[in-house]
Amino acid sequence: MNTLVKVGRYHLVDRISFLILPLGITLFSFAINLLLFWLVVPEPEGHTGGVMSLFIYMAVIGALSATRSLPFGLTLGVSRRSYYLGTVALAAGLGVAFGLWVVLMQLIERLADGWGIGLHFFRVTLILDGPWYVSWLTSFVFLVLMTAYGLWAGLVFRRWSVLGLVTFIAAQVLVLVAATLVITWLDGWARVGEFFTGLGALGMTGIAAALAVVLLGAGFATIRRVTV
Amino acid sequence: MTAVLSTTGLTRRYQDQLALDDVSIDIEEGSITGLLGRNGAGKSTLMRIVTGQEFASAGTVRVFGESPVEHDAVLRRMVFVREDQVFPDFRVRHAVKAASWFYPRWDEELAQSLLRDFDLPDKRAIKKLSRGMRSALSIVIGLASRAELTLLDEPYAGLDAVARQLFYDRLLADYAEHPRTILVSTHLIDEVADLLEHIVMVDHGRVVLDAPADDVRGRATTVSGPARQVQAFVRHRRVLHERRIGARMAATVADRLDRDDQAQATAMNLKLEPLSLQQLMVATSLDAAGDHPGGNDAQKEDIA
Amino acid sequence: MLDDGTPLFVQIAEQLSDDIADGSLAEGQRVPSTNELAAFHRINPATAAKGINVLMDDGLLEKRRGIGMFVADGARERLLARRRESFAAQYLEPMLHEARRLGLDEDDLITLIRRTGSSAGGGRT
Repeated sequence: MNTLVKVGRYHLVDRISFLILPLGITLFSFAINLLLFWLVVPEPEGHTGGVMSLFIYMAVIGALSATRSLPFGLTLGVSRRSYYLGTVALAAGLGVAFGLWVVLMQLIERLADGWGIGLHFFRVTLILDGPWYVSWLTSFVFLVLMTAYGLWAGLVFRRWSVLGLVTFIAAQVLVLVAATLVITWLDGWARVGEFFTGLGALGMTGIAAALAVVLLGAGFATIRRVTV
Repeated sequence: MTAVLSTTGLTRRYQDQLALDDVSIDIEEGSITGLLGRNGAGKSTLMRIVTGQEFASAGTVRVFGESPVEHDAVLRRMVFVREDQVFPDFRVRHAVKAASWFYPRWDEELAQSLLRDFDLPDKRAIKKLSRGMRSALSIVIGLASRAELTLLDEPYAGLDAVARQLFYDRLLADYAEHPRTILVSTHLIDEVADLLEHIVMVDHGRVVLDAPADDVRGRATTVSGPARQVQAFVRHRRVLHERRIGARMAATVADRLDRDDQAQATAMNLKLEPLSLQQLMVATSLDAAGDHPGGNDAQKEDIA
Repeated sequence: MLDDGTPLFVQIAEQLSDDIADGSLAEGQRVPSTNELAAFHRINPATAAKGINVLMDDGLLEKRRGIGMFVADGARERLLARRRESFAAQYLEPMLHEARRLGLDEDDLITLIRRTGSSAGGGRT
């Protein structure tokens, strides 16, 4: 059995965190959405995009892999490189599988006409709104992106502890705040909106993919000197 | 004999202290070596660097002739049983199962037998285990892996005397049937003294002793009796340590005493007691700390 | 294993010698294997092997390939002869020294030996 596969299997021993919870949390969120919509129908069609909870949870998976599972993983005689690549390979596998699941749910959602009450949980305007193969690709990329982000954040914490993590978050907040200020100052929100709309699903997927590659590279650079 | 583990000038510096200072050792294949030293002497740091979990500041490490750092082929031939192992959210059987995938010489039967011996419940969550049981789990994994280089860092943390003896017995039994190279660090020296073939002693990050166990046993002797006779007996010898009470005195000399010395001692009504490994280590450390009230000034290197 | 500074392998060799000398390990009888000795005494197998090798070098044990180690023919006699030679140095000298300390002369000693010997049910083994 190839080392990367072993690492993947190692993570999957914790079936709950890696398989059951992602789907479970999403379905729970879906159930809440369904209930609320059924009780309080706001408009003919409601796009909640609640499927986002799945993507957010992938970041949690990434963080768990970098923190809770890392020490024992390295003790089992695996290099950091193999551990990282194995984890990323698993994330890719989960991205393909979960992405397919989202697409299937979208299909059912459409066939059930919004679950009978016009709820669009599995559809996100613009991003997850097109043909099934594009939705699958987009889901895959964004799932991996979120995992890569969680993974890097977790590794930053492992390597530089709380101080490092705080700096990490603070830096991002600063960048976001600065960008927001600049755009507001230049009165460019409309242009930003147009830009993203113009990109379309495929364009945004491309940007997300590029960002994912950067994050994966950053994570790899971080793990090289992590000690347990 | 080939050296399975070899370090040259290994140094590890933290901001304000030197955890390892120019450590150069060679561990032979198929032997049990004891890594002895006080708490904080550098034993754990050395083992963590050898297994690639920590990085050296200077010097080299070679395991099976190659650097273990980020080297999968070497890492899978080693197993590291550490006292403070952090486990994921696993149950006992999960950890054992995962380990079985990563070690090529894993023996499942041995693992199950050891789990029974240590009374480790298969389904219990590891985070609910006591410290001793977690140590036992690490030991099970370490022994069942049959790794060619087995490193045990104070593996008995939290284990009671009965469990410790069980561990020594199982270790010895499996080692006899399936020889491998074992490096065990401990501060409970007397318990493992009889198992060791080779001794490496570290103090404040430096190697102060590196010798076959048989050479070290009986290397120092305590001479006790009437003070005047003791002083006469030890006059030209290297004295490590002295104690007095009334007219009696006990002096520890860094000398192996032979039959003639024994005859002389008997004639002078003196009692000779060779130091056990543990006593030797304590005496060496006390000596190094500058704690010798009387007698000749002895450098710790004299004993090596 | 005794903690008296005697190397462990020497202790192993001496214990096996004692067994050969008093006849509990008969000539031609199989001697415990290295692993058996190691497990019993809770010592390293290499140490046990060293002890056995000492006796092999002394000609007291012989190896029969594939089966194990056995007490050699004539081992007991050779051992007893050797021990008789060192009997005086090992036992008599300390005894004489202590006797002197207590103020016993040789005649006193001989009387004591006879008395102790008869009450202990002496005789040759």
